[in-house]
Amino acid sequence: MSDPIGQVLFAGAIGLVVIGIGGIVLSRHLFRMVLALVIAEAGANLLLVLAGFRWDAFAPILTQGVAAPGPMVDPVPQAMVLTAIVIGVGVQALALSLVIKVWECYGTLDLAEVRERLEADLAGQAGVPLPGSTERPAGERPLPPATAPAGEVRQ
Amino acid sequence: MSSITLMVALPLLAAFVLPLAARVARPLGWLVGPATLVATIWVGLEAWRALEGPAVTIALGGFLPPLGIVFHVDELALVFALAVPVATLLLWPWDDGEEGVRRQSLTLLLAASCAGLALSGDLFNIYVFYELAAVASYGLATDRRTAAGFAAAFRYLMLSALGSVVALVGVALVYFLTGTLNLAHLATLQDELSNPIGLAAFLFLLIGFGVKAEMFPVNAWVPEVYAAASRRVSALLAGLVSKLAVLVLVRMLLVVFEQPEARVALLVLGTVGVLTGEFAAWRAKDMARMLAWSSIGQLGLVLMAFSISGTAGVAAGLAVALHHLVVKPALFLLAERWGGAIEALKGAGRRSPLGAALFVLFALSLVGIPPLPGFWAKYLLLGGLAGEGTSLYLAGALVVLVATVVEANYLFRTAALLYARPEAGTQPPAANSPLALGTATLLGAVLVAGVVWVVPLGAGIERIAAVAADPVPYVASALALVQGG
Repeated sequence: MSDPIGQVLFAGAIGLVVIGIGGIVLSRHLFRMVLALVIAEAGANLLLVLAGFRWDAFAPILTQGVAAPGPMVDPVPQAMVLTAIVIGVGVQALALSLVIKVWECYGTLDLAEVRERLEADLAGQAGVPLPGSTERPAGERPLPPATAPAGEVRQ
Repeated sequence: MSSITLMVALPLLAAFVLPLAARVARPLGWLVGPATLVATIWVGLEAWRALEGPAVTIALGGFLPPLGIVFHVDELALVFALAVPVATLLLWPWDDGEEGVRRQSLTLLLAASCAGLALSGDLFNIYVFYELAAVASYGLATDRRTAAGFAAAFRYLMLSALGSVVALVGVALVYFLTGTLNLAHLATLQDELSNPIGLAAFLFLLIGFGVKAEMFPVNAWVPEVYAAASRRVSALLAGLVSKLAVLVLVRMLLVVFEQPEARVALLVLGTVGVLTGEFAAWRAKDMARMLAWSSIGQLGLVLMAFSISGTAGVAAGLAVALHHLVVKPALFLLAERWGGAIEALKGAGRRSPLGAALFVLFALSLVGIPPLPGFWAKYLLLGGLAGEGTSLYLAGALVVLVATVVEANYLFRTAALLYARPEAGTQPPAANSPLALGTATLLGAVLVAGVVWVVPLGAGIERIAAVAADPVPYVASALALVQGG
């Protein structure tokens, strides 16, 4: 793939995948994770189409009695991408329905809060003490906080 | 021979017929699932009997490759394709009502897609079956309909969908390099793939399919889902689905990516999986999560075994995988009512002597005490690792030994609690349901049968491994199909 447009498209497809994966890993909001997944899937699909595409070729449609005007684009990846898009939409719909269920149960879509509630639920269900949080240091703060502003009762 | 396609088609059809049949008449719906699975097992046995030569390739719908999709049938594929309906029948959700119909339908869908994973000889087809298995398992993971179940299933879905995207990128890279996705065709084009881009494609596929195989960096979903879902679903996911994902990876490693770097990647990820899984299981305070982490460790052992080159590796991997396929579902079934805190199990053996005895049997085999089958599996694994001779593989063998000590520690600690005297005033948990106990007893009988017939079993594994480790019969069967018209 030596032509500049092809290179831009390849870079764009890989970029979309990277943005999507980064979004899934870094987002703290469940709905944004679903959106990031959509972006990543679009990138992967674009990459698959590009794998079989030729700029100097025709659409792979054969009509009876008409000879193909020249080399044709490989139709196999296009058929596969159609399948992948359909699968992707199905998974996204399932993901959204689970987001709705989580919102109904926990009333929040913040990933950290959902994880905390999930850990607490699992520990409660099993009847074991909650393991120490990995995000906060154990124990109290080493120094007392600065004096409270006037007019506020210190607890 | 083409009747083998029924192993996928029958459960797939039944999954959608079942809700309708249940609406017409409740007993009819109740019958559809088990009857289908029994028929599927029969089809598989017939296909095994009719199998001529080492391997056969079947063109679906009469469309020959390169345009058609093929099923590849050899004994390795048949073992796992048969394990699917047998395991789903043993772990069948016998629940009644709407909820039961939903679970049974999803279980049949899972059986169809897992059989497809075992048999398919086309990379994109494998991707589609993998997605189908994934969707069915998301549904099953929420089967208790608790808040924790939905949250765990969402996190599972996100990780799994991420893996699918990565796998799809791997598929695209393979197609870009070779212009085909037929595994036999790819085997003849290995030179095109033995470059950094080809290795990247393998790593993408490894990470992508590794999600279901509970492989190291992408297994965060395992303890959450196994703790939140019902034990039957955990048993199905840990015992069956993970093995099919491993089988896909192994096929790719053996047939398509014959590169030393690919093997090293598998070895390293497997080793880290063993270490993290076993130590986390040692720290776990409740039975469900202990079994989940231990399952990650065991799958790490399977991946390590398959990273050994040649027949020895496939034989060791097959032995460890089949052993885990019998033992882990049984342990999850025993945890049906013992799923809570391990401390609370004090004295449970007095209320359920059979359950406790079975737990000890499976624990002994998992650790690898001779003469139980687990010992022979680990023996093959350690022998293979030592046979490779390089320092990395020897370090792997050392890790296996360390992991065995850790495993023995937490399993025997639990077994000792089962037989401890219960504290005054506390009531040990009740015995498991007769269905779970009966199934576990059956699996225990299989394990004991493995002790009695260890010699023919070992010979069979050697024979299957010798065919599977060699890409030549794989390619030859596909060529015979194309040339035979």
